[in-house]
Amino acid sequence: MTQKTSDKSRRNFLKSFGVTVGAAGVVSSFSLLGAAKAAAKEPEEMVNLLTADGQLVQVDKNQLRPTVTEPLNELQKRGREGIAGKSFVMVIDLSKCRNARKCMDACQNHHQLRADQHHINVLQMQDSEHTAPYFMPKPCQHCDNPPCTKVCPVDATFKRQDGIVLIDNERCIGCRFCIAACPYSARIFQWTEPKDSEKYKDLTYNIEANVPQKKGTVSKCLFSADRLREDKLPSCVSSCPNGVYYFGDRNEDAVTNGTTGVTVRFSKLIEENAGYTLMKELGTKPRVYYLPPKDRAFKFNGDLLNEENLH
Amino acid sequence: MKNTFNILATIILVLSLSATVCAEGWDVPASVKKKQNPYELTKRNISSGKKIFQTTCKSCHGDPGKGNMLPLQPPPTDLGSQNFLVQTDGEIFHKIRTGKGAMPTFEKTLSDESKWMVIAYLRSLDKMKREAVVTKAVVNPEVTDVKIDIDVDSEHKKLIAELTGLKKDGKRVGLEGIELSFLVKRAFGQLDISGEEAYTNEKGQLIVQFPTDLPGDREGQANLLVKITDEDNYGPIEEKRVVSIAVPTNPKNILSERAMWGTRANAPIWIIATYVLGVIGIWGVIFLILFQLFQLSKMRVKSK
Repeated sequence: MTQKTSDKSRRNFLKSFGVTVGAAGVVSSFSLLGAAKAAAKEPEEMVNLLTADGQLVQVDKNQLRPTVTEPLNELQKRGREGIAGKSFVMVIDLSKCRNARKCMDACQNHHQLRADQHHINVLQMQDSEHTAPYFMPKPCQHCDNPPCTKVCPVDATFKRQDGIVLIDNERCIGCRFCIAACPYSARIFQWTEPKDSEKYKDLTYNIEANVPQKKGTVSKCLFSADRLREDKLPSCVSSCPNGVYYFGDRNEDAVTNGTTGVTVRFSKLIEENAGYTLMKELGTKPRVYYLPPKDRAFKFNGDLLNEENLH
Repeated sequence: MKNTFNILATIILVLSLSATVCAEGWDVPASVKKKQNPYELTKRNISSGKKIFQTTCKSCHGDPGKGNMLPLQPPPTDLGSQNFLVQTDGEIFHKIRTGKGAMPTFEKTLSDESKWMVIAYLRSLDKMKREAVVTKAVVNPEVTDVKIDIDVDSEHKKLIAELTGLKKDGKRVGLEGIELSFLVKRAFGQLDISGEEAYTNEKGQLIVQFPTDLPGDREGQANLLVKITDEDNYGPIEEKRVVSIAVPTNPKNILSERAMWGTRANAPIWIIATYVLGVIGIWGVIFLILFQLFQLSKMRVKSK
């Protein structure tokens, strides 16, 4: 249903427009094609290329073709559907976090964000005056009852079958209703031209990574949906030096620590460590679970800018 | 004479200075000194301590007792030597925690549990305390073609692994006292289901209970990998098998149900109905009014 309607978008118009312009190009390129065919007869020049597995090979220059990038429609389609049979969950162990901020760096690299834009942010928390402060990484909670998708007027933000909440920047009109609806402040708005927008302007838009970022649209944590497709852990999870993150499939009842690579039962981990979710009373049913900051692996100095807390 | 005196004085001064430096060495508080390792010297603790030792300590200290430490000045201590092991658990613990000079602090990089595991491993090398280790020295005959056979008891959900090797006289014998790892493939890693003390018995057999509540795929299948935990023993030996004793799970597609958060076609019927009726109602009223106005103007024409 959604696919049908999205076909009628401005992209479709652009496509038909492109065909007309392209037709003119094809006519002029006939002569070029003829020349290439003639050249194909005699191998003229060999070039040395490095394959993905590190082997040096020689290839006839005439045989070289540009790499086929996955077409936008295909990326959008699979991005909307998600990975069948999976149900992704994240567990964040607060007793291990000591504000190394490596997760934030990795995330900003992956999603082409500036240093002040956060899909995941490490916050300094103190629940009340006499309680101990602690650090809390906060990504999108990928709720099972997401308030954000309810308010989107253009079907741009949606939930997939594997539980991930995504946003389609091609559809987003920048109304920011979802930012207002999200109780976790997980979403950001691209007010200005995104970082490196010049550099990536020819990149095919990938809905599973929100890259390239688009000015005037909303962006948020995606659990690195493009990496999950390749059976890799999300960027933040695998970049943590302190073993804070566990990530896995709830259907398999197993989560894997991104630092140590140790796999444990999800249900046992939550049960034995009194895991909880944020703002449970709102009924949003988050997919990000927290383990309380008990038996810390470090001493909290209570000061974000203190050297001790920054590495 | 004066010269000799000077030299002597210098030597004495230097010696006394270096002596004080050494004595200052580690300032271990008495309360810490008395600490005992809260973890027992079980095989599992020792082997996990060995793993930690190899990743965090070995790069400088070398293998215990081998003397292959990094040539630093002062040289790192051989942690397998009796000179080192005469210390109490608490002293070693304190030194790992605080560090000094080239020895980094592990207060934050290693959890307390990991530190104790390392101490358990070092203690297992201690000639004076060796009897504390709850292990029996097992000598397996020299064998080739070591392999693991897996048998599945579906009724009780038990896995039976048999580790055997070929003796020189062509006889196949079980290998005793070797730690095996039973790993179940999950999306991002291998789940260890071996449990505590996963060592083969005198027949080379090891029986492991498969978790009764572990989900598999739709048919209850799961990919199992059994391997020798410590590759030092017989090299990397493993055996893969698909077992059908996991709990069959049919993953629910959350998009198959209508929900408030569902976009467009997945919205609840009452919302779609209310919306459509609302639109029809409002436009209906507008058209009705326009129609009446049209009728009105027609009536005026007639009355003329």
